[in-house]
Amino acid sequence: MLTLPRLQLHRPGSVREAVELLASKPNARVLAGGTDIVPNLKHGIYETEHLIALRGLSSELRYVRRDGGRDGDSIRLGALCTIDQLSKDPDVLQSLPALADACRQIAGPQLRKMGTLGGNLCLDTRCVYINQSYFWRSALGFCLKKDGTACHVVAQGLRCVAAASNDTAPVLLALGASVRIVGPRGERVVPLADFYLHDGIHNTVLEPDELLVEAAVPLPAARLKQAFFKLRTRAAIDYSAINLAVALAVSPAGLVTALRLCVSALAARPALINRLQDLVGQPADLHLAEELGRRAQKQCKPLTNIGVDPAYRREILPVLVRRTVLRAIAS
Amino acid sequence: MSRSSHHERGDIGARFPKVDGAGKADGSGVYTDDLAFPRMLHAKLLRSPHAHARILNIDVSAAERLPGVIATLVGAEMPAKYGVIPWTHDEQALATDHVRFIGDEVACVAALDERTAEEALRLIRVDYEPLPALLSAEEALAHPEIKVNEKAKVGNITKEVKLEFGPVDEAIATAAAITRERYQYAGSTHAPIEPHCAVARVDGDGNLTVWSSTQIPHYVHRELARVLGLPPARVRVIQPLLGGAFGGKSDPFSLEFCVAKLALKTGRPVKILFTREEVFYAHRGRHPMAMDVTVALDAGGRISAVDNKILIDGGAYASFGLVTAYYAGQLLTGPYRFGTYRFDSKRMYTNKPPCGPKRGHGSVQPRFAFEVALDEAAEKLGIDPIEVRRRNFIGEDVETVNGQRITSNGFLKCLELVEQASGWKERHGKLGPGRGLGVAGSMYISGTAYPVYPNEMPQSGVLVKLDRSGRVAVFSGASDIGQGVNTLLCQIAAEELGCDPREVTVVAADTDLTPVDMGAYSSRVTFMNGLAAREACEKLARKLKAAASVRVGDEIELELGTVRGPRGSISFAEACQLAEAAEGAPLSATGGYRTQKLGGNYRGGTIGASPAYSFTAHVAEVEVDEETGIWKVTRIWAAHDCGKALNPTLVEGQIEGSVYMGAAEAQMEEMVYGKQGLLFGPSLLDYKIPTSLDTPLIDALIVESHDPNGPYGAKEAGEGPLHPAIPAIANAIHDACGIRLRELPFYPQRVLQLLQARVPGQERRTAC
Amino acid sequence: MSDSVLIRLFVNGEEHALAAPPQRTLLEALRYDLQLTGSKQGCDKGDCGACTVLVRERSATGRGEPILACITLAQDAQDLAIITIEGLATPAGLDPIQQAFADCGALQCGFCQPGMMLSARALLDRCERPSLPQIQDALSGNLCRCTGYTKIYEAIQVAAGLREPSSRAPVSSEKALPSDQVAYAVKELLP
Ligand SMILES: Cc1cc2nc3c(=O)[nH]c(=O)nc-3n(C[C@H](O)[C@H](O)[C@H](O)COP(=O)(O)OP(=O)(O)OC[C@H]3O[C@@H](n4cnc5c(N)ncnc54)[C@H](O)[C@@H]3O)c2cc1C
Ligand code: SF4
Ligand code: FES
Ligand code: FES
Repeated sequence: MLTLPRLQLHRPGSVREAVELLASKPNARVLAGGTDIVPNLKHGIYETEHLIALRGLSSELRYVRRDGGRDGDSIRLGALCTIDQLSKDPDVLQSLPALADACRQIAGPQLRKMGTLGGNLCLDTRCVYINQSYFWRSALGFCLKKDGTACHVVAQGLRCVAAASNDTAPVLLALGASVRIVGPRGERVVPLADFYLHDGIHNTVLEPDELLVEAAVPLPAARLKQAFFKLRTRAAIDYSAINLAVALAVSPAGLVTALRLCVSALAARPALINRLQDLVGQPADLHLAEELGRRAQKQCKPLTNIGVDPAYRREILPVLVRRTVLRAIAS
Repeated sequence: MSRSSHHERGDIGARFPKVDGAGKADGSGVYTDDLAFPRMLHAKLLRSPHAHARILNIDVSAAERLPGVIATLVGAEMPAKYGVIPWTHDEQALATDHVRFIGDEVACVAALDERTAEEALRLIRVDYEPLPALLSAEEALAHPEIKVNEKAKVGNITKEVKLEFGPVDEAIATAAAITRERYQYAGSTHAPIEPHCAVARVDGDGNLTVWSSTQIPHYVHRELARVLGLPPARVRVIQPLLGGAFGGKSDPFSLEFCVAKLALKTGRPVKILFTREEVFYAHRGRHPMAMDVTVALDAGGRISAVDNKILIDGGAYASFGLVTAYYAGQLLTGPYRFGTYRFDSKRMYTNKPPCGPKRGHGSVQPRFAFEVALDEAAEKLGIDPIEVRRRNFIGEDVETVNGQRITSNGFLKCLELVEQASGWKERHGKLGPGRGLGVAGSMYISGTAYPVYPNEMPQSGVLVKLDRSGRVAVFSGASDIGQGVNTLLCQIAAEELGCDPREVTVVAADTDLTPVDMGAYSSRVTFMNGLAAREACEKLARKLKAAASVRVGDEIELELGTVRGPRGSISFAEACQLAEAAEGAPLSATGGYRTQKLGGNYRGGTIGASPAYSFTAHVAEVEVDEETGIWKVTRIWAAHDCGKALNPTLVEGQIEGSVYMGAAEAQMEEMVYGKQGLLFGPSLLDYKIPTSLDTPLIDALIVESHDPNGPYGAKEAGEGPLHPAIPAIANAIHDACGIRLRELPFYPQRVLQLLQARVPGQERRTAC
Repeated sequence: MSDSVLIRLFVNGEEHALAAPPQRTLLEALRYDLQLTGSKQGCDKGDCGACTVLVRERSATGRGEPILACITLAQDAQDLAIITIEGLATPAGLDPIQQAFADCGALQCGFCQPGMMLSARALLDRCERPSLPQIQDALSGNLCRCTGYTKIYEAIQVAAGLREPSSRAPVSSEKALPSDQVAYAVKELLP
């Protein structure tokens, strides 16, 4: 079998206990659904002897809540919501249909039962050169991300560009979500747009002793039109070769009043397509969809970190964006 | 649960549920890794990180000092070479001085648990002198001075075959339509869901038993004895339930030798279970082939010439490669009549995991190329794809251009069934943009006249024993690899002896207890083992009838548990008792399949010569997204002539599984290697095999042509139906959007490139 | 050799206690410690579904939902009630899903099937009369290399009472006339 390294498992019963354990055990890591971290541990990608299992926090962190705040309504998703739960939750289906859609397309049925929202948002970046066994990586000569010094994707690259591969991230980014983080130094709320970093070795602002406990999505009065698309080779059990999400607000007159487009599975950070302000006020139509496709293509550079031909992915990106935007407009 | 009546009977032609089905349904079936013994050790293999290197030194001392490590093993302890084919012994269980691909086995550690064994591997020091690696057949051809495998007599060629039947060039010169194209078939692998596993134990008398997930217990038996230097009578090989094989478990593998040697060394049971990654290195999958194919049609659309130049990328070892080089050419000459034919096939050694026999061994690749080329040539003459296949039908009781004897041939019926079921006449060429239908046909062998190691003994044997309780025990060497041969043995016993098939015990694939069978490859099992079983049962039936006639009179009928005669009837058990009394000894009989002399009268003429051929036709339906090149095969109608369906449920299962696997190769499967020769993504995540959502709806249609030679008229069903899936899909994509795919897999980017290169007006194939 | 920990597992209605290294996976514990070898291993990292078992909170009712035992830590499964393929049949006989799989020829090599049958069982537990797309979706996390999934769909439909097992009769081919082939002498192009 693919054996696990020797390690200890700690099973806290509350967020407080979990954070204490994280702070006190050297190199401790969080185990939520385990669908990402366990395969990675089996591949020898982490040096850790302590896993902090979150199952005992389920009653605390497994909720979908709607509440009204000063800035209007929002929907709060506990970090231990399972992917399966989010794909079926009535509130999510109603207010965040693109998120439900993304969740339905993650991995396979069993993995969706196991995997959590927190784990998905904190999913380690992926690369064809790193998600392999110790033997395989040794035959390659290892790489920057673990045990080595070179990058096999970007020759002479000094930074790991392994791909953010989580499917909920682009949707939540497009919807303007933020995450709540708890650590030994207290609690902080970080807009998701500031959460991800350009570093494949550690692509979030999360400190090793911090826990992501919640994602919150604002629900503006004018409901956002939204859509998600995932390109993959296999219809299940397959990570994205490209994923993208779009959210737009449209006035009764059919003009765009707000707009966000996020493309991911490119490099370490999901790419929020920038400089779209000039499109606000334009009609939400085919022309807009095509323009967004062109801009996305200009700003996105697929790499060989994912097994599907980067040139091809770049080539069809405008088509994928156009179709997804049109789907959102029609929703 | 109501069971329909056809489940009650169990004779020939019944949809009898698999005999091991219930054992598997409740989880009680025992596969190799389900075995555990007291004091059992777990071993792991150290593999070469170099695609090509000389081994200068191996130092296992640090590994041996690790607590929990019980023994280590290096190649020098069993250096003898082996291989499934006696003329190409070119493998070692553990390399002594030369590693030939990334993943080649170098050393082995047995420890108290797997993790300790794995950690010990990292303590083994191997000094390598890297050598230049040859990573493609072209490179191997260009660099004869770099020797991948010393077994090659010339350069890096495992085997070259060049044969010409009739004046090919003349026929080409006078053809009415010709296609001459290059086709590239990517390598793919079997990926059975069960990883390879072997367990060895030595008893107090020094007898060695090896349980292995193999489909060739007999060859493993032979090679184990030879390599370990043990008398074969001291070695026993048992094949437990097998979790899929498809040809991927039909070579002896390092793990079998290593567990055996370590068990001998330590006196303790030893197990090796391959990780999924190691299954990819064991490989023996589909050979990559580059094929330059010419197909010539005369004005009437008759195939006047076929010429095929085939370059085969074999990987580091020969495996069945000798046969591959022949099969690539020899198996193409039906179901159509070829006016003339020539092939030149060359299998090269390269520094990659060894290729071997994957379902449809050797012939899936040229079949793809030929069926696409045929479509293309027919289009030039304006002939409908089904019509051109019908027009060239070779017939029954004929000899092919290369001297193979075809007996029964239900191909026309197959074509007719898929034509009707798919609504071809109304729909082909008329489905609207991005949707299309394609057709292809094929032929395959039911075992071969070439028994791998020639000898005078039978290729397959069965021993049947009757108990006075009425219980029938069938001892058979054949491997049930999921295809259901054990069930067929029960049905044959029921048919011949008139016993209840549920009262038959099958003891199979245990070299101590069962007669020899060569193994589950080349679609030989049902045919050869079935005939052997029938022969044994017939002998017993005669004795039963003779004994029972004393009580019930002559003219006896044996039917499902009852022995009926003019003077009444007795139970099957009573008949057994009468017969045993008459015999004065326990009742048993044996049957064998003796190799027939078949095939063309030239060197290699027997390879690919089969006592009977199966035939298949497919129609595939596809949808192509012309903006992205993303396509989907939505449905495949597959009609297969299996001679006689001994059990239609099992035959349908074989057809469906074959169609799935063929469609998978068209869609997504490829063994991709990096510059260093490192296999990309050796996992079921990166090497993608289709899920339920990727698999087309499959309509399996059975055609029976009642072969005069097969058991009850049966031929094969396990490999033939894979072949047409790939060209049928390619032809369907052409129907949908006018492009010709000549390289596998049909990745969306390849489709898109061809779509973009289309000249205006070529969007659709024109309906004929 | 690392120190063992005590792990309690509630499997098929029985309480088990075992001593194992802390990193023991649920699949290893089931197969090697509890000898429940019906759960299979095909990849050991979440890609194939062979190790599927059903789990629920101990306090919950029903059989539970499919998860993958190979990437679940045994220690982390202590609060769950687990059902393996061995727990599907009752003394009265096989579960209808198991019976239908056996009857319909859905079991070829059988290796993917314990996981497949548990996924199918969970589907029928939440949806008595599933459509074909629902069946395909529910099985999309279980790879099968033998069957092309076709007879598995059939078996689930049979178990749900939606159809009878397949009974399409084979079609006989007519005797075909031999073709007018000419035989040529072979030329061996190699020495
Ligand atoms: C075969 C396969 C296919 C897959 N396909 C997809 C796919 O298509 N799309 C996709 O998005 N994912 C996919 N996944 C990954 C995974 O199943 C999901 O992303 C899942 O949501 C991860 O959640 P988890 O709870 O299992 O994460 P875990 O593995 O438990 O954790 C993942 C990472 O996040 C950290 N973490 C977890 N929770 C927290 C928290 N609350 N606070 C701080 N850190 C935390 C962990 O330490 C770990 O580093 C696939 C996995 C497999 C095995
Ligand atoms: S992007 Fe480069 S450094 Fe990062 S995992 Fe891939 S190969 Fe390694
Ligand atoms: S063994 Fe493959 S998913 Fe668990
Ligand atoms: S029956 Fe063999 S893998 Fe499914």
